[in-house]
Amino acid sequence: MQSLPLTEPVLLILLSLAGQPRHGYSILKDVEEMSDGRVLLSTGTLYGALRRLLDDGWIERFEEQESSRGRQAYRLTAGGRRNLQTEVSRMKHLTHLARLRVARKET
Amino acid sequence: MSSLYRCSLYRRLLWLYPSSHRREYGEEMTSVFCEAWAATEKKGSVKRSLFWLREIRGLVRGALAEHLWFLTGSHSWILAPTRRFTMHSEFRFPKATPILMALILAGTVLAIEKAQAISASLPHTNPPVGPIQPEHLTFLPPVLLMFALTYAAGLAGWAILFALKRSGIHRLSQMQGSAGQ
Repeated sequence: MQSLPLTEPVLLILLSLAGQPRHGYSILKDVEEMSDGRVLLSTGTLYGALRRLLDDGWIERFEEQESSRGRQAYRLTAGGRRNLQTEVSRMKHLTHLARLRVARKET
Repeated sequence: MSSLYRCSLYRRLLWLYPSSHRREYGEEMTSVFCEAWAATEKKGSVKRSLFWLREIRGLVRGALAEHLWFLTGSHSWILAPTRRFTMHSEFRFPKATPILMALILAGTVLAIEKAQAISASLPHTNPPVGPIQPEHLTFLPPVLLMFALTYAAGLAGWAILFALKRSGIHRLSQMQGSAGQ
């Protein structure tokens, strides 16, 4: 499996799960917070992304000891974390390149 | 309208999704929606309206994407916000084929009509040749039949390949599922 550029909502969902396992509503709030209210996910969009990430093995269900009905937590898998790191490295490289090019243009 | 009513309305709207998705995520989605609505209902009417617009759009797009995935085994990148790595057949039924075939058919019919017109307008000497009568156009039905058969064969081939592809994906997912357990 190779890492590909991800859309911003998916990247934010993965970043949200990178710190700790979270359930659906917690992911929604965290994504909103991380993007300063710019990315507001709907429930349908969130679960579409979660289903695909589960299918691809990037995330997995996490059994909480005290989980109420209808609240399922998710966490990153080792593969998902590796892919996320690759994606972040790719973005870091792009940012570095952009900084260099923009600085060169300004001087 | 109470929060309970809105949650119940959202649960009903989940019928737009394929039943398998609804069984697996329906309860969770309703629970998340209810939590999100509880946090939004205290806000102003603009924010509440925007919340509903976002939820309905997400629900319709999500349901369409899930149905598309269920039918074709692939994700639509327009509807889905993530990429997927799966084994897919490289075969794609060329969409231009029916259009090209229709163009060829139209061209053939037009050529026949033009030939009829030219034949009727030309003066004929020995041996006299009269205008082509409809009963003389015995080759037209076989041409049409040939096109119809070609279409049918193409569709049948595509259906077989599609069925093989779908069954292969299902087997693979079942294998992955059983391997995971």
